[in-house]
Amino acid sequence: MAVLLRNLLRHSPEFRIGAVLIAVVLLLATLASVSPSPPEIVYVVPPDLPPSPTYWFGTTSRGQDVFWQLSFAIRNTLLFGCNVALTSRVIALTVGLISGYKGGWTDRALMSVNDTLIVIPLLPILVLFYFVMRDQISWLMLALIMACFGWAYDARLIRSVVMSLRAREFTQTCLFSGMSTRQILTEEHLPYVLPIVFSTTMNNMVWSIGLEVTLAVLGFTDIDRPTIGGMIYWANQHTAMVAGVWWWIAFPTLTVVVAFIGLFLLAVSANAYIDPRSRLWTTGGAS
Amino acid sequence: MHANVQQAETPGDVQPILRVRDLQAHYRTTHLGLRRGVRAVDGVSFNVRRGEIFGLAGESSSGKTTLIKSIAGVIRPPLEIVGGTVDFAFLPGFGGLHRAPPAELARIRWRHLSYIVQGSMSVLNPVRRVESAFLDFAYPHIGGHRKQFEQQVIAHLARMRLEPSVLTAFPHELSGGMRQRATLALATICRPDFIIADEPTTALDVLVQKEVLGMMRGIQRETGSSILLVTHDMGVHAHVTDRLGIMYAGRLVEEAATAEIFRNPLHPYTRHLISSLPRIGDDAPRAGLVGSPPNLADPPPGCRFHPRCPLATEICRGEVPAIREADNGHRVACFAVERGSRA
Amino acid sequence: MSGYAAYVGRRLGQFLLVVFIGINVAYVITHASPIDPVEQSISAVSSYGNTAPGAIEQMRNSLRDLYGLSGTPSEQYLLFWKRILRADFGPSMSAFPTPVATLIGRALPWTVGLLSVSTIVAWGLGNLLGGLAGYYRQSRGLKLMGVIAMGLHPIPYYIVAMLLLIVFGFVWPVLPITGGSTMNLPQTWTPEFVLSVLQHAILPALSLILIGVGSWFLGMRALVSNVLAEEFVLYAELAGVKPWRILTLYVMRNAIVPQVTGLAMSLGGIFNGAVITEKVFGYPGLGSLLVDAVYAGDYGLVLGVTTISILGVSVGVLLIDLTYPLLDPRVKIS
Repeated sequence: MAVLLRNLLRHSPEFRIGAVLIAVVLLLATLASVSPSPPEIVYVVPPDLPPSPTYWFGTTSRGQDVFWQLSFAIRNTLLFGCNVALTSRVIALTVGLISGYKGGWTDRALMSVNDTLIVIPLLPILVLFYFVMRDQISWLMLALIMACFGWAYDARLIRSVVMSLRAREFTQTCLFSGMSTRQILTEEHLPYVLPIVFSTTMNNMVWSIGLEVTLAVLGFTDIDRPTIGGMIYWANQHTAMVAGVWWWIAFPTLTVVVAFIGLFLLAVSANAYIDPRSRLWTTGGAS
Repeated sequence: MHANVQQAETPGDVQPILRVRDLQAHYRTTHLGLRRGVRAVDGVSFNVRRGEIFGLAGESSSGKTTLIKSIAGVIRPPLEIVGGTVDFAFLPGFGGLHRAPPAELARIRWRHLSYIVQGSMSVLNPVRRVESAFLDFAYPHIGGHRKQFEQQVIAHLARMRLEPSVLTAFPHELSGGMRQRATLALATICRPDFIIADEPTTALDVLVQKEVLGMMRGIQRETGSSILLVTHDMGVHAHVTDRLGIMYAGRLVEEAATAEIFRNPLHPYTRHLISSLPRIGDDAPRAGLVGSPPNLADPPPGCRFHPRCPLATEICRGEVPAIREADNGHRVACFAVERGSRA
Repeated sequence: MSGYAAYVGRRLGQFLLVVFIGINVAYVITHASPIDPVEQSISAVSSYGNTAPGAIEQMRNSLRDLYGLSGTPSEQYLLFWKRILRADFGPSMSAFPTPVATLIGRALPWTVGLLSVSTIVAWGLGNLLGGLAGYYRQSRGLKLMGVIAMGLHPIPYYIVAMLLLIVFGFVWPVLPITGGSTMNLPQTWTPEFVLSVLQHAILPALSLILIGVGSWFLGMRALVSNVLAEEFVLYAELAGVKPWRILTLYVMRNAIVPQVTGLAMSLGGIFNGAVITEKVFGYPGLGSLLVDAVYAGDYGLVLGVTTISILGVSVGVLLIDLTYPLLDPRVKIS
């Protein structure tokens, strides 16, 4: 794993850029721990001040420092994304491995459910969920629901890798030597599947954060908890654009876009590295 | 070197259809900072006469696939031709298809030079019907009325014992044997002067193999095409080819009439190949060669076979043996043979 | 041809499964929540005081009936499904007494129009450019497009919509930023009306298209590179088939097949994008309807729009799935 990262760092400009972008975002997120005041309190500083040496990113109409608010927001947003990604990885791996390996009716049944979850548009469901839960909604619940829907696409990818592995000879050898299904899946197949899991995790994070931002912007989440979407929501509530308080919207937007592009680049470069054919293109050869 | 080439042509011979002279083709990659050069074809020379079926034999890493890619002009990075020439009688003056202008290539492709490749599974466009291949490949050269062309194709397919319904089928709807016969029809319909056949019968079962080979020979006799047949299967060579060249580690180590090679193999590698063929009634255990094929990125100096050769001496480690005529039309590259010693 | 019939049957079965599961999910969410929509509506109405207790009781009962919340759980479930099959979502609370179905009927054409046009343009353009980029690896223009696509593709729909709104709303106000057509213009098929519809659709469509093109571009480029390495492409080149013919009939024709599947799979996500985009631009489609319904606390409308969304996307996926065998004859028709 370390060798992989070192090689990627050295030879893939996309990976380097992605890593830098993510590092910047992470730095901002960790700074939240040294914030001078808790994020829920309003009117701690003079409102509507443009960016200056005292208030690097300016202040909001609610009297909060945009910079510190942003650090909490990006941290919560990233945590949310990680949460969804991890939970859905577990489900995706389980379903993908079992479905790809067992085949037959198990596979068909699982894939029917899988395809159903891919097709159903999630936003209306989440909106309905918010409508029904109102103030009782929590980000944990939201994360759980998104995880329950977000595993489907990646489970298919994992399944196709497992199906091709199952057809390979070494699987037969393992079977004949008496390994159990669980052993084969975890010890033999998992290492092949993990690289795909890495890139799909990045993509999943982009997806879930995007969805959360969309919901928050509409006010359909727990708006007292600072998130990127939440900041934009409050900015809209105070008609920041019209009032000229552009920094309240610009900085959260910029931060989240940086995070997205960073995650995406990491996923793409890892993918390209793992696929030997694309390696050849980047080195000036092609077949 | 020139001496070798001249000796391959006896006076009064018609000009050969293909002349390969000292061809060198390497794979060069720079990946993650590591430079690598694989010398897949390292100085190969031979001729193919008109109407002749010339076979190329050798193991999988012998360089035969790269050789035919180079002859066919399928040069894509990381493959590069670093030296030598390839001259077809119908495309003189360029030294290789990779150097010819697109207009000339368009003229000769399929009409003068065609191909039969292994894995007929995947040589036809899977989302279009078989007839589309005939229309794309052959119609531009044959021309005329569509209806007429269709009749011509159907007649040609019949020679391969294929029904006209093959035309409207999709590739995956045909069996392996049918696909290969269809590809054979496709490759021969323009009556090309030269056909390159790369493992045309591998992956077919034995009966189908025999059928396809028979058809190949039949067509070839009819049209007078030359065929360059590349396969590791010595049985196929014995069955079909007129002359045979043995490749090892990117070099041509022996070349003669097929019957001569089987009757009197000179190079130690060839002798091993021939002796390892099973013979009915002969139960003697076959000895394997020691060692393994060399790493072409870092080949052994001198004769590339010397690490595995029972006759290797000091000179074999130091110098590269040139391919020389040992007998009438029988060329071999081996110091031991020159010396007269036999394994 | 019977193979195709079997395929249609399977796809239809999957379609019904999706609709069934989706609507059940909606049912579970609305009926398993701790919050009682009836009480919510009642407290919203009576918060202004001065409602007699008897009247509240009456309200409670009629709302219960309206929302299908009276009776045992199994009775409620059956009633729910009966109403859905009759497309009866009851009256809209925020636009009383207009039936929910009518409101949805008004908004649906706008969404369908916006979605289909922008999806087709994005898919078509993205695949075309991506295919060219995969084939002409050296072209700097196409390489640049690739970089832009990589920058656009991960950005969520909301942000692109917002940026467009800012640019065209404040910086360079040449295009209308709200509404489906010029206000007070009668909604009949006059050239004036059609023109204003097109004008108002430009920004929302552009927003959806920008992101879509990026995704399809990247996908097609990768697919084309894979197909280029296939034997049949090499064989066609060896046969001297013209490069343009190879690019269209051999390479792209094969690479487009998984993109069709990809389209079916992304339809849900594209719909999500359309919802938020509509809200940003005040476009009178299902998206705006849904969000406004939530703000207004209109239970029937929210449930109605959600149900129709699930149904609509499923129909879209079904239609796309049905065209698949026409493109790929290898589909296992067994």
